[in-house]
Amino acid sequence: MGDGDTGVLVAAERRLAAETGVTRRRDLGVLAVRDLERFALVAGAPALPDGQAPPLYLSSVMGWSPGPPESELRPDGSGTDETRGLPLEGLRLMGAGQELQFHHPARAGDRVVETTTLLSVRHKSGRTGDLLLLHVRREFADGAGRPLVTCDETFVAR
Amino acid sequence: MTVLTEVVAGVTLPPYRLRTSTVRLFRFSAVTWNAHRIHYDAEYARSEGYPDVLVQSHLHGCVLLNAVLAWAGPGVTLRSFGWQNRGIAVAGDELIVTGEVVEVRDAPGERVAELRLEERRQDGELCAPGHVTVAWPAGPAGPDGPAGP
Repeated sequence: MGDGDTGVLVAAERRLAAETGVTRRRDLGVLAVRDLERFALVAGAPALPDGQAPPLYLSSVMGWSPGPPESELRPDGSGTDETRGLPLEGLRLMGAGQELQFHHPARAGDRVVETTTLLSVRHKSGRTGDLLLLHVRREFADGAGRPLVTCDETFVAR
Repeated sequence: MTVLTEVVAGVTLPPYRLRTSTVRLFRFSAVTWNAHRIHYDAEYARSEGYPDVLVQSHLHGCVLLNAVLAWAGPGVTLRSFGWQNRGIAVAGDELIVTGEVVEVRDAPGERVAELRLEERRQDGELCAPGHVTVAWPAGPAGPDGPAGP
């Protein structure tokens, strides 16, 4: 990896360090039964009773807003809404896994609220060059504040 | 689908298989609103050093969980689940999940099992190790009753 790329990584690390521990809350809207059924179909998941969401639906959706327009997407196609709102300019992001606690099934018609916290950012020198390891916690609750799913996700940023 | 009497440490899951395709990857990106070009633009994926468009990290998680739900039956409750993306898969690859019950414990009204999981490509390459904790209601027949209809 060249010095220029390392510079991008160090700058991103500094931006992300300032975000660590900050919790953001947003309303994801109401779950539509068609979206849940489509997800189950393409994931090969079993159909669930009573309009239940497939267990990984909430933590798999990357974007909940209509945008951004194509002109505002990064060169790799991602938008900030699809990368947990993190300041990742100049970096490529890959999902590296999740740890989930299931509290209560989400259902079609539920309003879902998400709180997101960047738990940590670590700079690592790996076989394939330098990278940042990000740990992000998201807690999903229904409109009444009842917890649905807690998801700790690891991302690799290069 | 399984029966609770069969759930003891050492029991293995029947292998679960899912064949990926560019259409499946496109539709998974669409329903999760994931515009990352690496999943639908083969030329872009090659520019990053991959042989073809990549299976989404979350789809690997879904495939692991499909294997558990197919084995455990509709009466099961998921408590926790986790996976790590270790190796890539691309469109056309077949993903194969195996698993093993590592611990079973009885609690009031339920039986809880912990499983270790592995998702591999058809060539044996490890894509995603995982783990899951599931619980079945013991039901009126007690903890040895059937797990589902």
